[in-house]
Amino acid sequence: MSTVLINGIGSAIGAQVARQISTHDEVTVLGIARCEPPAPVGRAEWLVAHLNGVQLTELLQAEHVDTLIHLDFAGADAPVEGHEVAVQQNVIGTMEILGACAAAGVSHVVVRSHIGIYGANPKNPTILNESRPVARSGLSGLLRDLAEVEHFLAEFALKHPELSVAILRFAPIVGGWSPLIEYFAQPSPRIIMGFDPSMQVLHIDDAVDAIVRAALSPCAGAFNFAADDAVCISQAIRLSGQQPTSTFESMIGLSASVGDRTKLRPWPFDISFLRHSCVVDTRRAKDVLGWSPVHRAVDSIRTARQNGRASDDPAVSEAAMRAFLSRKG
Amino acid sequence: MPDSIEIEIGHQSADVVSLPAEATSPPVEIASPPAEVASPPAEVASPKPRRAARAKRVAEPTPESVPAPKPRARKPHTDAHTEDADVQVTPPHVDTFAEDVDVRIAGTGVPKLTPAAAYWDVHPSDSLHEVELEVRNNTSQQPSQATVMGHVAAGLIDLIGENMRRMTEEQVEKARELLRGTDLNDYLEPGFWRGIGMVLQYQVQEQVDFIKRRLRGEYEVDPYGMDIEMIEVVRPFLAFMYRTWWRVESHGLEHVPAEGRALLVSNHSGVLPWDGAMITTAVSADHPVRPDRIVRSLHLHWFSTLPFVAPALAATGQVPGLPENAVRLLENDELVCVFPEGLKGVGKLYKDRYKLARFGRGGFVQAALRARAPIVPVAVVGAEEIYPMFYNAESFAKLLGFPYFPLTPFFPWLGLLGTIPLPTRWSITFCPPISTEEYGPRAADDPLTVLALAERVRDTIQETIDLRLAERTSLF
Repeated sequence: MSTVLINGIGSAIGAQVARQISTHDEVTVLGIARCEPPAPVGRAEWLVAHLNGVQLTELLQAEHVDTLIHLDFAGADAPVEGHEVAVQQNVIGTMEILGACAAAGVSHVVVRSHIGIYGANPKNPTILNESRPVARSGLSGLLRDLAEVEHFLAEFALKHPELSVAILRFAPIVGGWSPLIEYFAQPSPRIIMGFDPSMQVLHIDDAVDAIVRAALSPCAGAFNFAADDAVCISQAIRLSGQQPTSTFESMIGLSASVGDRTKLRPWPFDISFLRHSCVVDTRRAKDVLGWSPVHRAVDSIRTARQNGRASDDPAVSEAAMRAFLSRKG
Repeated sequence: MPDSIEIEIGHQSADVVSLPAEATSPPVEIASPPAEVASPPAEVASPKPRRAARAKRVAEPTPESVPAPKPRARKPHTDAHTEDADVQVTPPHVDTFAEDVDVRIAGTGVPKLTPAAAYWDVHPSDSLHEVELEVRNNTSQQPSQATVMGHVAAGLIDLIGENMRRMTEEQVEKARELLRGTDLNDYLEPGFWRGIGMVLQYQVQEQVDFIKRRLRGEYEVDPYGMDIEMIEVVRPFLAFMYRTWWRVESHGLEHVPAEGRALLVSNHSGVLPWDGAMITTAVSADHPVRPDRIVRSLHLHWFSTLPFVAPALAATGQVPGLPENAVRLLENDELVCVFPEGLKGVGKLYKDRYKLARFGRGGFVQAALRARAPIVPVAVVGAEEIYPMFYNAESFAKLLGFPYFPLTPFFPWLGLLGTIPLPTRWSITFCPPISTEEYGPRAADDPLTVLALAERVRDTIQETIDLRLAERTSLF
């Protein structure tokens, strides 16, 4: 009998994790959301709240939570509202959560992260494993916050050996809304002339499976997660139904900021990721967690074209309805 | 006019280039005529009137003028009653196309003629190449206007054969279907041009489909960015550089393992890393067992910061030269090629040619020891003269952020033309592998072992280079 609390059940991935864990009868599922969950959450009981460290400690103690899954990062599942707010939520928020966990006697914490924290650097090995240190410079936005969180977590885990901290570094998640697919599926997405690095993505179902496995098994340390195949950025754009436009590096940010904002989307990571590849080795996740990706990157990107919106294709809608009915029945 | 052979297979008839009784030297592939040839009822028929008439009109080849053309049945066995086909042979030598093919593939003397597969062998492009040579051969005997036609025909067959190398089994089958019933040697017949036309049209269609498919993103790359289809696209160009431009002679390819990991260690030279490309081509063109093995060359990681160069290198299977990459590739049982001289090698001056620079700090040996991969020393001779660099404009290089800036008799004075390498004659020697099995797992961290092994590899390469240089008679 264990109790799992999902911080960030209000996102698509959080809701799916709740539903998956609900299938394990011996586990009680709780959730904290910033907004109402967009999808069914199984047996999970949740509240919409923004708790500070003290309040969270009280909740964790009252419900005897032993595992906390922290998925709630600004900019990961929805467009970010502002830089300061995001840093507050991502970095300070995580520190508060970890502090509350230590205070309330939680034994296992699972935190989501991103493979982008290794940075895109020509001096990185082409395929990175978890022993590669987190980049200390060259990152911005969510990735910088996550890199900071990772530095904090590494230190925190050293000081609190009674708490096992698992860090799940996900490749950009596709399926549902994703800033990456939004960029790829806009009219003629821009890439840097003369560069076409390879990249990885992860289907949301495989990410959910990873989180569930990490939450229900006593594991610690960092894990990389990505689909087994890699794609070139230009190829990913073509799979999203567009043709890439090669342009100068300075034009990429510029056109997104002065162009038609209703149509043009910004590249969601640092520019360096359009120049150098960032590909990870997922062997550790496979060996330790028994995780194995079901979806191939090529298929995920092709089907993610719609980026979470309904498709005009009647066949796709038909398939969605059949899937819904079979789930109900 | 010497006696022609005519071969009747099923309802189709094929005529064979007249075989002079004297021209009986058997093709090298065939040690002895296969036993099967004797078993079907063979009868000699009179030459077909049309063919005979044409032969008279065209050439009247005398036995001396015909350079032993290979007589062949050129019709596919399309019908079920192939078995009781009348195969007419003229003693003393028997050689039909199908048998020729079978003996060449199987080498066991058990030729099985399945009706569908009888026309071309495992790789049709090879047999097409033979046909092309034959057409060219025959053409040279013909009067002028037929010669032009023959050359065009041979060129087209060559083109089809080249394209076919890149086709899938299915596509080859389709082309085979289209060519069925076409006599590929008989280019004076309308049927030939119709067949060739259909296949060409089909192949153009396939190429368009290929481009369309690329534009839809439907292809695969590996995590390093290697794109097999792109390798196939550049392969003909590299093969041209290998065979025609540098006339590379490869020795000791049997030392390159057909299976499993190995670390090729080569001397490096020539300003631009052509030597890596040629080592790759040597394996893919001439390896006796596994010509499809792709060599993953490690390049200076600085190259991955260069626009256009970086994706091109990645697509052709080259990988930034970092120790982690080397170990990982070797652990995946790949064939990895390293150039321990690195920059000191490519940026070598002409006067320092064939003097091996320092072999780094032995990082390549560490990688081989970690992955327990055998080390194959490779000596490339000829590459060091392709860009005779007499001065390295270092300050200018620094300004541009380049590791070196070569001044050669042609570069930068002739601009882009100056980047065309000199057509020296090359040789690539693969030395016997040095095993790393006997070293323990700790050896990679023992500087003495590592440096000693590195020195041994370096000496082997230097000795082999000296040997080849002594053998070499001319630079070109």
